[in-house]
Amino acid sequence: MTTTAAPQAPPERGIRYFVAQQTTWSWVTLGVGILALLTLFAGVIGILNAYGWTQVCPEDAPQGTCAPTDPLTEGLLSPELGVLAWVVIGIGAVAATLAFSRARRVPNKQAKEAAIAGAVIGIQAAALAGVLLWFRSAGVELFARNFLNVRLLGDFFPRFVNGAKNTLILSFLGGGLGMILGLFLALFSMSKRAVVRAPARIYINFFRGTPLIWQLSFAGLGVVTAMKLDFFSGIDGPYRVAVAVLGLNLAAYSAEVYRAGIQSLERGQMEAARSLGLSYLQAMRFVVVPQAIRRVIPPLTNEFVILIKDTSLVVVLGLAFNQKELLGVGREIYSSTFNATAWLGSAAGYLIITLPMIRLVTYLERRLRSGLTSVIG
Amino acid sequence: MSEPIVRLEGINKWFGKLHVLRDVNLEIFPREVLVLIGPSGSGKSTLLRTINMLEEPTEGRVFFEGKELTDIHTDLNAARTRMGMVFQSFNLFPHRTVTGNLTLALEKVLGLKGEEAQRRALDQLGHVGLADKAGAWPSQLSGGQQQRVAIARALAMQPVLMLFDEVTSALDPELVNEVLLVMQRLAAEGMTMVVVTHEMGFAREVGTRLIFMDQGVILEEGVPREVFANPRHERTKSFLSQIL
Repeated sequence: MTTTAAPQAPPERGIRYFVAQQTTWSWVTLGVGILALLTLFAGVIGILNAYGWTQVCPEDAPQGTCAPTDPLTEGLLSPELGVLAWVVIGIGAVAATLAFSRARRVPNKQAKEAAIAGAVIGIQAAALAGVLLWFRSAGVELFARNFLNVRLLGDFFPRFVNGAKNTLILSFLGGGLGMILGLFLALFSMSKRAVVRAPARIYINFFRGTPLIWQLSFAGLGVVTAMKLDFFSGIDGPYRVAVAVLGLNLAAYSAEVYRAGIQSLERGQMEAARSLGLSYLQAMRFVVVPQAIRRVIPPLTNEFVILIKDTSLVVVLGLAFNQKELLGVGREIYSSTFNATAWLGSAAGYLIITLPMIRLVTYLERRLRSGLTSVIG
Repeated sequence: MSEPIVRLEGINKWFGKLHVLRDVNLEIFPREVLVLIGPSGSGKSTLLRTINMLEEPTEGRVFFEGKELTDIHTDLNAARTRMGMVFQSFNLFPHRTVTGNLTLALEKVLGLKGEEAQRRALDQLGHVGLADKAGAWPSQLSGGQQQRVAIARALAMQPVLMLFDEVTSALDPELVNEVLLVMQRLAAEGMTMVVVTHEMGFAREVGTRLIFMDQGVILEEGVPREVFANPRHERTKSFLSQIL
């Protein structure tokens, strides 16, 4: 008798299976944990909303009698919020206790995971509530006035948009310049001739070894003035200096990324190309570099994200009003209003730009890891 | 006898302090299928790679079609278009399609127009039985198919000499034959070939001359059947007894 094992579909292990494995105990634990977190968020928003976020002060209000953030302060200090925090801590404690009460006799793996999730969420909610209580015991009024004046962000919104525009222009011009220059630097730094290699290495090490803020100051204050470079003087001068220095700086970092990418290719690629009669430069251009660039897109994007944040250092160049980037805008609003909420506006601007890029890096890395040798095509 | 295509004179090669080729002299004639065998580290691959100067000999001279490749005034790239090489690890260009692998050198080195290069590439792929894979990416092919593309890539340049460097060593056993068959047909068509291999069956059936190397020296040379049947040298004997 012959038995042949026919191929079978793998056993169902999806979400439906996970749900089916749960017990009353695990459901309750998970539910209580989630309840703690939801109570916290819904409660805080509801209470603060009831008191109001900001108020419009009448023009003739005497100095010191009205602050835009007064209702927010009142809400934060209200007894309702205190009660809410303690209730959340209580619910979180219940979730944790429920989980640990049966930790030694869990029915199965899936139920155990659900119960642990409930306990962890409950503890997180309780911890957040604890922070809220601690925060209420400090100078809430001062904090709200200085950091939570959301109305101010609304008033200056166009300025932040202009700042974001400048941040993007500086990043993309500097980034483009740096990534092109960096590729040539990388090729020079790998030359078999020391006389070609050495200057590239010196350049790379210099720009990687000194702070960007020093490079910007030195170029903006020293080089441009001393060299009488027309292109870099006048009203647009500092802006152009900023792009040039950001580009020169990124070139050094991206050169190292390219070099790693090129060196990660198998030697056989170059040999196969050469054996077909391609010259060294042709082999580099048509075989090695196209492959290396695909491999270094994620780390190169990383360098670009760093550059986006580093554009904030151009403040040392003293840009004109309309040329200010995100941090410059925040700084200026702060110095004219003495309100630090402006900093939050800058931070929000940076996050809106950088978070999608960070996501992109993760996505590209996963695509490259999944065995596809080419990102494009 | 006709003029040799390749002549190696007094080739010495050191990797650091390691003396991998010791005063090797060799001539290769048209229509020959020269098989190089020997234990690993014997220098057979290095010898093969000095023929197209992927390894530069430390001492000695390499001649190809009468031109001295070791002379710095010789256009090495032009000489290389006339000899194809196939590698153990295929070395296909993963960022180009199968056809793109073939057309690259046709366009950039031989200066063929896009359409003409395409036609020659497709024609060559047909010869190795892979016309239907023209638009595929190398990563979508089996090892044997990849190696046949690599052979087609070299043949598309219409070389007068083909160098094979252990081209079946990285293949799964069931894929070896399809590659050997392509090589066998190529030999039957009269291509001059130098083959470094561990496939003794191929060496015996297809090879016209066999060279056994050990420690950077050509120890024994002759008609494959005779060397296999009657090895003169002790080292050859023990090597063959281990491998056959």
